[in-house]
Amino acid sequence: MTSPLLETQHLTHRYPDGDGGIFDINFSISKGEFIILAGKNGSGKTTLIRHLNGLLLPQKGEIRLYGKNILKDLTLTRKTVGMVFQDADTQIVGDTVFDEVAFGPENLNQPRNQINTKVIAVLEQLDLIGLKDRNPATLSGGEKRRLAIAGILAMDPEIIIFDEPFANLDHPGSQSLLATISDLNQKGQAIIMATHDVESVLKYASRMLIMADGRLAEDGSVTDLVKKLEFYGVKEPCACKIAASFSWQP
Amino acid sequence: MAALNPFMFRQGNSLLHCLDTRCKLLWVCMTSLFILKADFLACFIFLGVLIVFIKQIQIGVKDTLRQLKLFLLFLGFIFLARALTIPGDPLVFFHGLTITRQGLNQGGLVALRFFLVMVTGLVFSATTRPASLKSAAQWFLKPIPFVPEKRAAVMISLALRFFPLILQQANETANAIDARCGNLQKNPIKRFVRLTLPLLKKTFLSADHLILAMEARCYGEDRTDPEFEPSGKERVFILYSLGFWLFLFFFQYASPLSP
Repeated sequence: MTSPLLETQHLTHRYPDGDGGIFDINFSISKGEFIILAGKNGSGKTTLIRHLNGLLLPQKGEIRLYGKNILKDLTLTRKTVGMVFQDADTQIVGDTVFDEVAFGPENLNQPRNQINTKVIAVLEQLDLIGLKDRNPATLSGGEKRRLAIAGILAMDPEIIIFDEPFANLDHPGSQSLLATISDLNQKGQAIIMATHDVESVLKYASRMLIMADGRLAEDGSVTDLVKKLEFYGVKEPCACKIAASFSWQP
Repeated sequence: MAALNPFMFRQGNSLLHCLDTRCKLLWVCMTSLFILKADFLACFIFLGVLIVFIKQIQIGVKDTLRQLKLFLLFLGFIFLARALTIPGDPLVFFHGLTITRQGLNQGGLVALRFFLVMVTGLVFSATTRPASLKSAAQWFLKPIPFVPEKRAAVMISLALRFFPLILQQANETANAIDARCGNLQKNPIKRFVRLTLPLLKKTFLSADHLILAMEARCYGEDRTDPEFEPSGKERVFILYSLGFWLFLFFFQYASPLSP
């Protein structure tokens, strides 16, 4: 078994108002994994993923990246663990598509020609090169989401976290985004996806984590856990229900 | 997909798009100062030049005027205030108020000058990427001692980034209020409060999200320095602009028609 890229040990974060937070979370992520993070609203998914990127810091326990506590080098953590937020509009900082993608590498103080080469390569990879001079405000929802991913990819992350990536996207937009994410996973990036729409990503994921009341309630293979989703307040994929109903037929 | 407001950057190949932002910034400062001293004729000639720029940038003139209606209303107030308060040869008496010829002249001139400064700013912002404006500001501030130029530049860039977002959110909030017959409320203070509170909440939330997104991508002050792309036309452009204004001022002050 390969050594984990990232692991959490007894990770705990309680909010000051005493309502919500995450408690004693233990799990690890290896290279190339595709993990679905499921759970109903308020179960602690967003709090957990913000810890993995170093945006929130643990009150108890620790997070280890390549075996080292992430607090020792937060810049390396944020470079290695990219995060795509739920609302692409508030994530976009640049005023053209090109500038938006260059924002991360500029923060890492990389040389200008290296930044330009990297940005062009990422825009080509995500099929955004034709839009490089466009104002991000004028892009469609799907294009904005791909732009947000491009901004992360330009920093060469090993793990990419998606927080509800299909929110506010139409079906073609979701399908195109899913193809992009699957392609990234095929190329070796580990993916963690917090989503309610488990059905769309079921066939791509290798593992599922289910959160309930701030705790990691389940951690296992997708096939084992999919039947338990309804119990934790997440919609079970229709395909599974239909398959189950056929198996009950005489 | 959001519509562009006239102040937002739009890509293009016009002369102003090609110029280095430092040169454009210098041009805006220089032009604004000259406008403040210009007479009617000079103002109208410069207005003609601005219309050519606007056509090149491909901003619809009618659409722009429609979006600037509040500003135009403000200019109308300035015009009226001047017309009613400057003493001179009376033209109209109305309920104890007197509009003078000098007042009309002065009011018209001041309103026109304000309008030209605003349109110059519009032409500048529509052809300049906020990121390059930030870089230009950083470049101009660098030689000044004790000024943290990188921090100041980021503040400028975020303000520029946020201004259109706030306008967009104000529009959305107003629509949401009107959708529930909020437009029937005639008390302007209540209407203002109903619009402002949710708008402030939204703005602070957006600011929070933006900060998180910037932090998530390792934002710090020690960033790669900006890159400028001069087109080579900058010196000629500044010299022509300077010549243009000197020529206009020569006629303004030296011609026998000047007061």
